[in-house]
Amino acid sequence: MAIITISRGSYSKGKEVAEKVADRLGYQCLSRDVILEASDLYHIPEIKLVKAIHDAPSVLDRLSGGKRAYIAYYKSALTRLVRTDNIVYHGLAGHLLLKGVPHVLKVRIIADLADRVRNEMKQENISEQEARSMILKDDQERRKWTLSLYGADPWDSALYDLVIHVQKFTISNAVDFVCEAAGLEQFRTTGEAHRKMNDLALASRVKAALVGFNPDVAVTCEYGNVLVFVANPERTTRKLREKVKSLGDEIRGVNNIEVHSGTALPPDVI
Amino acid sequence: MEPNGLNVEMILVMAMIFLAVFLFIVEWIRVDVVAILMMVSLPLLHLVTPKEAFIGLSSNAVVSIIAVIIIGAGLDKTGLINKLVGPIVRLAGKSPSRIIVAISLAIAVISSFMQNIGAAALFLPAIQRISKAMKIPISQLLMPIGYSAILGGTITLVGSSPLILLNDLLVPFKLQPFGLFDVTPIGLGLVVSGILCFVLFGRFILPRGSREGDPAEQGKNGEETDLLQEIGDVYELRTPDDFTHYREPVRVEDLRRRYLVNIVATTEPPDYKVSSPPLDAVIRSGVDLLVFGRDKDVRRLAESEEMILKEGLEVFKEDAADHASGTVEAVVRPRSSIAGKTLKQINLRDRFQVTPLAIYREGEIYRAQIGDLVLRVGDAIVLHGTWKRLQLLHGEGSLLFTTPVDVEIMRPEKATFAGLWLATALVMILVFKIQLSVCLMTGALGMVITRVLSIDEAYQSVDWRTIFLLAGLIPLGIATEKTGTAAWIAHTVLNAIGTVKPIVLLTIIGVLTSAFTLVISNVGATVLLVPLVVNMAVAADADPRMAALVVGLAASNSFILPTHQVNAFYMGPGRYRSTDFLKAGGLISIIFIPVMIGMIYLVFGV
Repeated sequence: MAIITISRGSYSKGKEVAEKVADRLGYQCLSRDVILEASDLYHIPEIKLVKAIHDAPSVLDRLSGGKRAYIAYYKSALTRLVRTDNIVYHGLAGHLLLKGVPHVLKVRIIADLADRVRNEMKQENISEQEARSMILKDDQERRKWTLSLYGADPWDSALYDLVIHVQKFTISNAVDFVCEAAGLEQFRTTGEAHRKMNDLALASRVKAALVGFNPDVAVTCEYGNVLVFVANPERTTRKLREKVKSLGDEIRGVNNIEVHSGTALPPDVI
Repeated sequence: MEPNGLNVEMILVMAMIFLAVFLFIVEWIRVDVVAILMMVSLPLLHLVTPKEAFIGLSSNAVVSIIAVIIIGAGLDKTGLINKLVGPIVRLAGKSPSRIIVAISLAIAVISSFMQNIGAAALFLPAIQRISKAMKIPISQLLMPIGYSAILGGTITLVGSSPLILLNDLLVPFKLQPFGLFDVTPIGLGLVVSGILCFVLFGRFILPRGSREGDPAEQGKNGEETDLLQEIGDVYELRTPDDFTHYREPVRVEDLRRRYLVNIVATTEPPDYKVSSPPLDAVIRSGVDLLVFGRDKDVRRLAESEEMILKEGLEVFKEDAADHASGTVEAVVRPRSSIAGKTLKQINLRDRFQVTPLAIYREGEIYRAQIGDLVLRVGDAIVLHGTWKRLQLLHGEGSLLFTTPVDVEIMRPEKATFAGLWLATALVMILVFKIQLSVCLMTGALGMVITRVLSIDEAYQSVDWRTIFLLAGLIPLGIATEKTGTAAWIAHTVLNAIGTVKPIVLLTIIGVLTSAFTLVISNVGATVLLVPLVVNMAVAADADPRMAALVVGLAASNSFILPTHQVNAFYMGPGRYRSTDFLKAGGLISIIFIPVMIGMIYLVFGV
């Protein structure tokens, strides 16, 4: 019926909410599976992928585009997995990676810092100061990551359909809210929503295949018509063009694929 | 003449040369703007007098080029060239090699009296028609013919900008100027060697279709890659009566974006027909649509949008008939006002009611979102419309139609006058030995007076870019000579290479010029190198006139990169890639030097 993304800070009980929602709705619960899928699909060591998608890009990363490549692989794996619907995803930046898909319910679970610190102290058996500094550092890293890659602050509530503060509300309340929201008409998988999801998955797959040739490559897909945008025509290498041509035959669902350069990027580009 | 030591002025001149060369290579600003920069900064630095700075604008060379361009435009307007092509093709028969030889010779002769790019643009429609009619792949024809247009520029002294410039550059040295046909034997030698290269080695150096094989096989390939076939055909669809009841409004542009299917006409109740409906027009219930697209796309559209695909054309049978409308390929011509703009900006749909279907550029076909692509010279745009509308667009002049549009907006009745004035100019040059610019301007004026073309058309035809490139670089040449920089560099180079035979020196000059012309344009190379090589030749006891001539000729040795105007222009229609020029152009460029030196040796006995 729907795709539910649950964004959460560490030790905010988001994972529990996600698992319980999936359990109640009979959905598949995804998080680490995406990393495994990406690592498997693109033959990258899991550890490298985890590091790339967790830490904010350094100056060197920004220049080399290495991080963007890993994110493209991750996004390709994620869109491939969630295409089937009935998914609860509580991993990295789902609300941003699945932007533009109508039947995605974007949820953010937050908790008080004191509660989070307490949770971490209990789980990791560390001191309060250690736990606090780790959580703050982690939050900072997340913020830097989304700001540098998507220009969005994860704490901006406008990015989500539903923000639930787990304090007065219990985990069980949160699960109720999410399940009820997921059943709303707006999050039903219509034919149009399904097409948009498929287009996003196609675009992500094409981008992942090309990002090794040019880290700045941008892709859109509408009704199976894929457009690959390259900023500088001189940097459009023959290899990239040949690869694009072969992708048209390799990837099912691609109706037409072209490389455009020197044009303004459309807003839905990935 | 022993040069003085290096002084401040010489260093400044060299700095300006380096600046010009640097800007030519990096292309931060356009080459003609670089030339104007030189024109202005040299007098400011007191390297030339203000009068010398602008002397280029009144030079024999610049006036001659203006006149040559106007004469070329006059020949173009009368359709004289197209008339010549017909008999040439008949004469050549059906063999691709003979067709290449015949058209190459023809374009070389024409190009010797007009700008190379002008000749290339003039011949393009005819060549594409021949390619289609004879089923010879266009890529097999355009490159040899384009190269012949460049080589043809060496047949007379007015054939190319470097040669037109040559006599002006010789003036400071008080050397005897060259006559109009002094270079003809050398130019002919170069043209023949170029054509021979393609006849003998064409199969190895020219790009071919996907299948290797004999010319008959290539013909089939040509058919397969026919652009018009790749983009589809016309189909008729009908929207159901409840089409708009249960869906978001579907617009013309939605169908184009989603299915790459172009709506070229719709019916409008009660019984109107609208051709090329605006992109934001909403598709209504119970209307018929005439669409253009690939079979698979049209079927996908019909299925997804629940429209009825008709077996054949019904409502639009008459409108889509061959006599009423059609699909043409139009190339963005050199100096066209639409180059640098997007299809969205020029809005052909609303202005001319023609529908752009696809764009062909450097071997790639673009179907999706072509409205956002910035058009370049040489892009081939595939258009669909009624012949009447296409003719209007043709008349506007920014596009070169390669598929014939029935009525050409031309003045064929003026062909005799055009020919007569060209002949008059030639007689004045050859018989009465009057200065080149005066003779050519007489011919140009004659064409205007006899209404071959109007004076406004004549003004519009002048390529100001070329004019200012020439005029702006001339003071740089003057400064190089006047300050003794040319002599200093010449002696330094000669001291470095030691004593060489004149023929070896000429060969070195030829290679040097060929390299320069690739990066800093033929005019830039000529202006900078002529003062230099004249000094070198004087110091090495070689003939300075011949050294200058080598520069003027070798400045046309520009085949390896698609930077030459003709190569850039033929790249789109010929579906060439840069590597194609590297391969074929490499061979022609290498052969150019020995043929040129050999012919100079035979004709002038150096």
